[in-house]
Amino acid sequence: MTATLERAPEAVSVRRLLIGGFVSGALLAVLAATTMTAEKAVPGIAVPGPLVEYGLPVLRVLLDLAAVAVVGLSLLPRILGFDDPERTEPVMRRARPAAVTFAWAWAVLALVVIVFQTAQLNPGTVPTPALIAQYVSRFGNGQGMLFSAACALAYAGIGLLAVRFGEKVPAELRIVVAFFGLLPIPVTGHAVNSVWHDPIMISMELHVMGSAAWTGGLLVIMLLVARDRELLAAVLPRFSRLATLALALVSLSGLVTGLASMALTPGVELPGALLNRDYGLLLLAKAGCVALLIPFAAHIRFRLLPRIAARQGTAVVAWAAAELTVMGLAYGFAVALTTASIS
Amino acid sequence: MRRLLTVLLLASAALLSVVTPAQAHNVLIGSDPENGASLATGPARITLTFDQTVRQGFAQISVTGPGGTRWEEGKTTVSDEKVSVEVRPLGPAGQYVAGYRILSSDGHPVSGKVTFTLTAAGTGTPAQAAPGAATAPAQAPDLSAQAAEAAQNGGAGMAVLWIVGALVLLGGATVVAMRRNGSREETR
Repeated sequence: MTATLERAPEAVSVRRLLIGGFVSGALLAVLAATTMTAEKAVPGIAVPGPLVEYGLPVLRVLLDLAAVAVVGLSLLPRILGFDDPERTEPVMRRARPAAVTFAWAWAVLALVVIVFQTAQLNPGTVPTPALIAQYVSRFGNGQGMLFSAACALAYAGIGLLAVRFGEKVPAELRIVVAFFGLLPIPVTGHAVNSVWHDPIMISMELHVMGSAAWTGGLLVIMLLVARDRELLAAVLPRFSRLATLALALVSLSGLVTGLASMALTPGVELPGALLNRDYGLLLLAKAGCVALLIPFAAHIRFRLLPRIAARQGTAVVAWAAAELTVMGLAYGFAVALTTASIS
Repeated sequence: MRRLLTVLLLASAALLSVVTPAQAHNVLIGSDPENGASLATGPARITLTFDQTVRQGFAQISVTGPGGTRWEEGKTTVSDEKVSVEVRPLGPAGQYVAGYRILSSDGHPVSGKVTFTLTAAGTGTPAQAAPGAATAPAQAPDLSAQAAEAAQNGGAGMAVLWIVGALVLLGGATVVAMRRNGSREETR
């Protein structure tokens, strides 16, 4: 039954709209932002070539998107609930192998990112295994990526067990491993030299986890559940509560992290620095994305949700696709922010 | 949902206590000579001061004079938050640019430049720029300092070994499981 539904042309175009909007939004934003933040040429100093300068952010954003998909697919069993296995099991049977595939992509991308980071530090040379090993052993960034890759691989292993044994493999285990893999990624970004370092890092971790749960959950529900009106009526109100929480968490922690990082950097004066520094402009762009998300989210929550709960047909997938595109843009700017110079 | 949130909070609390947070991003706070300074005699050394300790290795400073001539002498040295390089006696009057690229303590490369003007011509001659060697030599690896840093971070060799092993094992399992799953779907 699922197989015939899957091949319906309408379903294919819906999937293209959702994934295409999300991925192209992210790539567009990261490339546009990188033209701004790329290292400026300095006389007498070698800087990395364009392949590294643009390749690294692109790989980083793809890694983020794969991780978002994994987190969303891990949350799916909790969002679906276990009351109606007749309906949820066909959805889960497609979600579990997909989670393994995305975990693989995540792990491989993390390992490739390490190679590119090594190349960024050694401009003009092709990284050798010895250079890469040296990079990982000396720098927290390399170790963070390695830890993330290891978590993604562990996830792939647990995901395979879930493909084989179904929901006997606890959903919480998969969620925890997925979030564990997510946590070292922001640690590879910026930090400030101040007593506020630890609170800012915690705020950053909350930001990353909240946005992954929100984006991943929405993506997965729209891709796998939206066709089944009965199931959507049960699932979307439940997810909506999580999304409201995530929206508050993400916008608050994002503002705290970004503004505090700028305020604590020597030689940076707020609020003027918001407009005359790359970091400030990117921060404004990202805040703009979140501000744009609020009307989309509110429309789905207050206009469409009552009709979905009444099992009526709605254009919720189109609205969600627009929301996901904006989320993709925000992810692209986020990656550029992690490497943009604050000062 | 509540149980899930509890698990997540516990997990993140556990992780935050394990992961060592990144060091901060270095910012140039001063230099000798200062940016935009006008000097009658060339400086013997260029010293850049950052707001915190600069990592050993990778640091380089170059001094470029009028017409793209090169004036730095020897290797760049790092001492806590100061990065410096010796400068040859300068030649023609004009604008000199000290370009730098250092490794921030959070692992990101930071690059930039400091410009100063020589008002009276000196007697020096530029370094013989060997063809193809257009860039300053990176800092000589200070082995003891690097070893100390590496010891703090722990060895990565074993981790790589573990990861390769896990990759092979999981790759095989993925192929087998996906194939089985596929054939089950077809017979359904």
